[in-house]
Amino acid sequence: MIKTPSWSSREESILLLNAYLDNELDAASVLDVERRLAADPALKAEHDRLKQLQSALASQLAREQASEDLKRRITEIVDPPPVVAKPFRPSPRTAYGWPQLAAAAALAAVVAGAGVFGLLRPDPLSNDIAAIVADHRRALLAAAPYDVASSDQHTVKPWFDSKLALSPQVLDLATWGYPLAGGRVEILNGKPVPVLVYKRRAHVISVVAAPRDGEKSVATSVRPATRDGYSVITWQSRDFDYFAVSDVAESELSDFVARWREVSGDR
Amino acid sequence: MDDRQRFAEAVLPHVDDALSLARWLTGNLTDAEDVVQEACIRAFRAISSARNVNSRAWLLAIVRNTAFTWIAKNRPKAVVTTDDDDTFERAGLEMVETQTSPEAILIEKTESEHLHAVIAALPLSYREVLVLREIEGLSYQEIAKTLAIPIGSVMSRLARARSLLIQRIGTTGKGKAGVA
Repeated sequence: MIKTPSWSSREESILLLNAYLDNELDAASVLDVERRLAADPALKAEHDRLKQLQSALASQLAREQASEDLKRRITEIVDPPPVVAKPFRPSPRTAYGWPQLAAAAALAAVVAGAGVFGLLRPDPLSNDIAAIVADHRRALLAAAPYDVASSDQHTVKPWFDSKLALSPQVLDLATWGYPLAGGRVEILNGKPVPVLVYKRRAHVISVVAAPRDGEKSVATSVRPATRDGYSVITWQSRDFDYFAVSDVAESELSDFVARWREVSGDR
Repeated sequence: MDDRQRFAEAVLPHVDDALSLARWLTGNLTDAEDVVQEACIRAFRAISSARNVNSRAWLLAIVRNTAFTWIAKNRPKAVVTTDDDDTFERAGLEMVETQTSPEAILIEKTESEHLHAVIAALPLSYREVLVLREIEGLSYQEIAKTLAIPIGSVMSRLARARSLLIQRIGTTGKGKAGVA
């Protein structure tokens, strides 16, 4: 509820009139506005116009209805359609019979169902890296690789605070040619984790800050790895395990990580 | 409750509302559908943060941010950066007062096509506040949270948006021609 300050200006009475029509005022302020309306014809005229506008908006603005196609696209976010193994072009000589196709489809279903990572990567760190690379790639496919766009560390940090109640270090590395581009949230091991996004020329560097639970630490020291053509470097600070992932050259990514650790004062 | 259930409860019931918001922000339905789909992907990624919040306002905030990312990419000129915001707000308030005579206007009788055009012509930061209030029915508090602006800005933008609508409906005659 909004408290009424004294009627200091015309503007303020217009603001409060709007709040009055939106049922946002407390009882005392409502009375105050009504007294004003009774005494001030110009304000009353404005009131009537706003009232008319509200009812025009209410009666004439229809709500959109999601098409079946959109609903399907959205439910598929959670339940992707089953993978069907299908040869590109059935050639007459090596045409697969139905039994083979069925077997292939069954295998594909098993692989899709069990999760490729689960089947192939038993090592937890390696699992994390695979998930982080997949997230990074998915982010590159989206409209923008971040959910909050800002080159200002003081915008990005509070954003994480409000989203995740977590506050990773947000460093500005523009001096070294790695401007901050924004931040996003990823899910790692079922938990939301902050991801900082930096630019390097046309490339994107994602820095995943996974909060450390207890003493258990996955990463050990600075460790480079590559996966699907992406370089990944992992390192630790007091509270977070960091993963930097990018398609820039590994030497450049190492330089980035070195700058980061230098600026963060954490070595 | 797993993430899928949470998604089904927090996101699916509000898809029409999400689409309405995206439609008003992007200006057309096809783009709005893409924005909503992308927003739902983000919502699913962050689904655990939907606990204990008003899921509709939560989703609308994600839609709004997704739409802005989209707009920044596809229509960079439409975005007013926060740097301009102060001047913008002040300019807005000073103009609240202009008026044609009330008798000349039959706002209630405005044709819906005309009303749509007038709303679509509002500056983005006014339009989003208006849509969140009039179409989505969010409270001032919820709008302030969704847009990450102070409640005073919500009030002034909303007042300004409505004042502009009234003026423009009035100055373009009895709801016929285009936008002033």
